[in-house]
Amino acid sequence: MAGRFDFWSILTDPLVRQNPVTLQILGLCSALAVTTSLPTALTMSAALTVVMTLSAGAVSLIRRHIPDTIRLIVQIVIIASLVIVIDQLLRAYLAEISRALSVYVALITTNCLVLGRTEAFARHNPPVPAMVDAFGNGLGYSLVLTVIGAARELFGKGELMGYQVFALSDQGGWFTPLPLMLLAPSAFFLLGLLVWAIRSALPEQAEAPEHEPPPTGEPAE
Amino acid sequence: MRRGLWDRETVAILLVAAYLPLALIWIWFEGGDAALSLLLILLILAIWQLVFLLLRAQAPSLSAVATALAIAMLAPRELGPLPLILGVSFGAVMGELVFGGWGRNVVNPSSVALAFLGFGFPGFDWPEILLPVAWAAIPAALIGITLGVMPGPVILGAALAGAGGLALGLDLGEVLPAASVVLVLLVGDPVTSAATALGRWLNGVVYALLVTLFATGWSGAAPVQIAVSAALLASLAAPLLDEAAIALWRAQRRRRHGRP
Repeated sequence: MAGRFDFWSILTDPLVRQNPVTLQILGLCSALAVTTSLPTALTMSAALTVVMTLSAGAVSLIRRHIPDTIRLIVQIVIIASLVIVIDQLLRAYLAEISRALSVYVALITTNCLVLGRTEAFARHNPPVPAMVDAFGNGLGYSLVLTVIGAARELFGKGELMGYQVFALSDQGGWFTPLPLMLLAPSAFFLLGLLVWAIRSALPEQAEAPEHEPPPTGEPAE
Repeated sequence: MRRGLWDRETVAILLVAAYLPLALIWIWFEGGDAALSLLLILLILAIWQLVFLLLRAQAPSLSAVATALAIAMLAPRELGPLPLILGVSFGAVMGELVFGGWGRNVVNPSSVALAFLGFGFPGFDWPEILLPVAWAAIPAALIGITLGVMPGPVILGAALAGAGGLALGLDLGEVLPAASVVLVLLVGDPVTSAATALGRWLNGVVYALLVTLFATGWSGAAPVQIAVSAALLASLAAPLLDEAAIALWRAQRRRRHGRP
């Protein structure tokens, strides 16, 4: 089996080259909603990675027994059960962060990233590669969430993980916090800039242009 | 766009010329600090245009002068250089340059920069538009409309709708100076306002209605903030108004000629 699957590339491809968030633009809803601070972003990433890995394993184990017609129902039931377990665990041990994440943990159920990987990969592959693939995608998602969460917390409050990094101007420092960073639109801007940066560095990710400019003899404006 | 003398830069130069009365009166009343902030903003815009010229071969445009004037006149006061640089960079890059430069942008870069500064730094006071500066908006609009670089129906539509509001007895006196300067600087922008005849009238009316709505319903907002927010929303609605005007035209045409 090891010969058929290149585990290293299954694991590392989704980090940047095939990143689920920045290349496939999947799972954005939670990525934008929970990144106001680094701790919530990290918790959400961990929750999603665990759910995705376990559900990929479970779906892959019973992949030969799922009738095609009801496969989505079966997959969602598996994912939803795991999400409920994770949600209860978070409420029991990380009550504060669970409150901050509000409904978004429960919404992992409908996260297209999780369903996308079970549907596209786990349903056709043995458990171990399926779980490695899901784990890699979870890490790719986590990477984006961490970067955006860190940027929003740093520029919005001058903090990282609750520790003051920049000296605030109202305490005699130089940094004026940017409250816009804590509002939802900034997540869109930051994600857009991130996608732009990645596609500039890796031009093969850029989509083909939809329109060609008409050929004219005039100088371009 | 290129027809005879008219290319993009002709429009930009004439637009700047139309803004001159406004700019001169504003600098006359606000003094050297205002001129200095205008120069700083112009420098930031020039640097970004240079960056995009080198990276993407996008031709620089003199429209940066108009953008700089709008931001300098309407940006919150006492911001300090760092937030100003951030806001102007955001407006210029995300509002204009990523779309391919002036002429291809969807919203006015100065509206984007001002909205960013307003929402991003809510603690700073918005400027007050002095009455003489507001009067100077009238010659600016007249020059712009006469030279053909400002859409007349947009400005007339907004003025008529505003006059209608005043005739109905709405209390618009406080926002009127800011609203008229913003009308000339941001809403009357030839690129981001509506492009069809009916769409232009509607665009002006929508701006005036939004200003009226905010002036009567948004408590605690400064006049400039009200006008800039209305301008941003009106410019976002402009493509929709154009679309509606074209759909209406097609429907009329189908009724008259019997086929699409």
